[in-house]
Amino acid sequence: MRRYLPPGEYLLYTLPLVFLGLFYIYPLLSIFDISLRPAGLLDLSAFLRLIESDYYLGTLLFTIYQAALSTAFTLLLALPLAYVFARYRFRGKSILLSLASLPFVLPTVVVALAFAALLGSKGLLNDLLRTLFTLEYSPLQLERTLTIIIIVHVFYNLAIALRIITGYWASIGFETEEAARCLGAGALAIWRDIRLPLIRPALLSAGALVFIFCFTSFGVVLILGGIRFATLEVQIYYQAVSIFNLSLAAALSLVQILSMLAMMVVYTQKQKKLHLTMASSRALARPVRSAREVLVVLSCIALIALLLFTPLLALVFRSLFAAGRFDASAYAELLVKTRASLLFVAPIESVANSLRYAILATAGALTLGLITAFMVQRPGRLAKLADPLFMLPLATSAVTLGFGFIVALDEPPLNLRSSWLIIPISHTLVALPFVIRSILPSLRAIPPSLREAAAVLGANPPQRLLTIDLPLVGRGIVVGATFAFTVSMGEFGASLFVAQRESVTMPVAIYRLFGDPGLVSYRQALALSVILMLVCTIGFLLIERLRVAGVGEF
Amino acid sequence: MLRIDGVSHAYGDVISLRDVELTLEPGEILCLLGPSGCGKTTLLRIVAGLETEFEGSVSFNGGNLRGIPAHRRGFGFMFQDFALFPHMSVAENVAYGLRRRGYSRRECRERAAALLDQVGLAGQDDRDVAALSGGQKQRVALARSLGPHPRLLMLDEPLGSIDAQLRDQLALDLRQIIKREGLSAIYVTHDHREAYAVSDRIAVMNIGSVQQHAKPRELYHSPRNSFVARFLGLRNIFPISEDSPFMRFAAYRKAQNQGFSAALVHPTGIFLEREPPSGAERFAATLSAVVFRGDSCDVRAALPGGTPLYFAAPELEAKPGEAIELFITREAIKLLRD
Repeated sequence: MRRYLPPGEYLLYTLPLVFLGLFYIYPLLSIFDISLRPAGLLDLSAFLRLIESDYYLGTLLFTIYQAALSTAFTLLLALPLAYVFARYRFRGKSILLSLASLPFVLPTVVVALAFAALLGSKGLLNDLLRTLFTLEYSPLQLERTLTIIIIVHVFYNLAIALRIITGYWASIGFETEEAARCLGAGALAIWRDIRLPLIRPALLSAGALVFIFCFTSFGVVLILGGIRFATLEVQIYYQAVSIFNLSLAAALSLVQILSMLAMMVVYTQKQKKLHLTMASSRALARPVRSAREVLVVLSCIALIALLLFTPLLALVFRSLFAAGRFDASAYAELLVKTRASLLFVAPIESVANSLRYAILATAGALTLGLITAFMVQRPGRLAKLADPLFMLPLATSAVTLGFGFIVALDEPPLNLRSSWLIIPISHTLVALPFVIRSILPSLRAIPPSLREAAAVLGANPPQRLLTIDLPLVGRGIVVGATFAFTVSMGEFGASLFVAQRESVTMPVAIYRLFGDPGLVSYRQALALSVILMLVCTIGFLLIERLRVAGVGEF
Repeated sequence: MLRIDGVSHAYGDVISLRDVELTLEPGEILCLLGPSGCGKTTLLRIVAGLETEFEGSVSFNGGNLRGIPAHRRGFGFMFQDFALFPHMSVAENVAYGLRRRGYSRRECRERAAALLDQVGLAGQDDRDVAALSGGQKQRVALARSLGPHPRLLMLDEPLGSIDAQLRDQLALDLRQIIKREGLSAIYVTHDHREAYAVSDRIAVMNIGSVQQHAKPRELYHSPRNSFVARFLGLRNIFPISEDSPFMRFAAYRKAQNQGFSAALVHPTGIFLEREPPSGAERFAATLSAVVFRGDSCDVRAALPGGTPLYFAAPELEAKPGEAIELFITREAIKLLRD
């Protein structure tokens, strides 16, 4: 059946397309332009420098190395946990699984500060060790090491890997391994012959996704690693902002974009395979019975709680206690503008800024997202193209986006460089895929017969939209809005490029305060982080409560 | 050979097995028959060592099996959905148990080929198990569980996902292969026709306990209680009462004093012939319905007072609504306990 659209509808559909063109494609093309033609002529010298210099090759290799290492550790930890989660049924399992996804919405600056508060040289763990063994020095020196970067990457990605592998494992069931046991296979043989080969697709899919996330990790590496552990992302930021070598930064961005593209292709294929094989769901999780099983399940719960919640608790603790006493003055100090600070305003202003931008970005992303979702959902060629097109910002690193913004939008016709508007616009772009992915599943789930029934009963198209479609996707809209709000509140990479002195956002303020030498700044950073963490956690709880099956899956 | 002694089991608060006693003789095929949720699969899994938390004891050739893990028992298990390894070929599936028992690659290949030949899948060694039909999967699963010469074979609804048309033939094939290999087997099913075809003895189970344990013919002709009778598809079951038309039978009159609560009028003892078997009682009845089944007819008739009787009869001339005469033999009256 062919559907003809009224002209007004076409006009509406151009809105998100124009937005994407102006604020995504145009900046990316500008990056290409600068990297390939820095002075208006084709000039590959920036690339030659990249290739010739061991330093930049080292950056790329280190980016791959840390991502591979992080992926390996994440999978290694996720594998036994996923087995226990898929195999056993116990109280609180689904809550634990969903709580484990909290890091997904936590801003990188918050997490970086949380781990510094727990494992840093002045962190809680060192305090504890010093008191226990009466040491003069801090025994754990993890700040600015690869170890802490990898620990944080595992923290971030464990839940994603856990969800993918657990879901897959539960769907293929455990009959085959029981069959193998009856045929004489011991524990080792079962892992080698049955479990690992069978969950290979899930392992590859989860591995690809985690690798992509770690490959583009920015805030964590910047704050906890520093320039000594520069990944591509950090190097782009450093070249563009500190040294102002735009052509080299653009060349690095191009490398980044191309690697991301290649990885996304691999991931999409792996994921398709995964969905093809996920056919039956006959597997039943077993209740926990023997003492050994209870012990295994309890240690899994403890491990997850330890990894996920101790850093966050350490952050809260550090912000509320100073020198062993309760002291919430850090929160009062948010009103104070420190003279020496790199942050030129009182920290509290960043809160107001972030809230304002988040509201604007949510409104923008919701409007564009709704239009796009309706466009994608209807049959036709336009829809087929639009679906992957609007997912692209998700596959582009925030640093690349931010860099693209400052090189593309700094001159007429579009000069937004010094306007604060550029921040909510960049956040809208980053949040858009989340909104679309939240609305689409519920929109697709509406049976066409409902609209037809409404039509037969006399409802015209706008009435059908208002009375049938919108009420039925209500939940998806709330989830999408919450996603947009949380993403905007926590966005760091792009904001770091585009935020000005007065338009500073909370994550950027935290980063600057944390970099300041003073104790007051440090405590301000902690207090701001706790507030941001709470906002994002509330958003997360709302999303988890309201999400319907399939919402927010990427 | 296998001795199940006072076995009880519970899933949380739900009791799935209650003090089960069963034995299995060498070379015998025992069927566990019952509705879903009666505990038959749980019992099978306990014997296999897949379920380790239970009370009571299971012993094999005099040795207690408790504490011996599934992979050291040397038993074969055929799963309901076959549980074929999707990442291995047909031959690799069949050879898996042999590999685990340390056979060489060559021996494995040869024995796998021989087994596939035996189940009628010769030359299919390298096929992908995902590409097999339901019946072929079933035979690969059988070959795989026979592979390492199990001391005891367990089959959990092995024909559950097979078309009803094929089931009778495959049940017979299964029995012949098990007997040819000289194996002892426990076979779980909810289909009494399948149980008759496959087994030497049948244990009928309901809500966790064995209701009756007997040879197929004995079971069919003398079910012990109403549950067993009903589960076998016997429908002429009536509570014992003073004003029953069956008070004409001496056995029926004594039933109440002997603690029976219901009586079954076995359909094999109900006749429509003009020449009744000797000793049969004559009843006037009304023909209610006749369902043509090809080789015979399913008949429903009502005795005066409305008591319905179901039985099979050859082709008959009477039409529904007409008065007929039927004969019930003394042997047809079976007394049932609760």
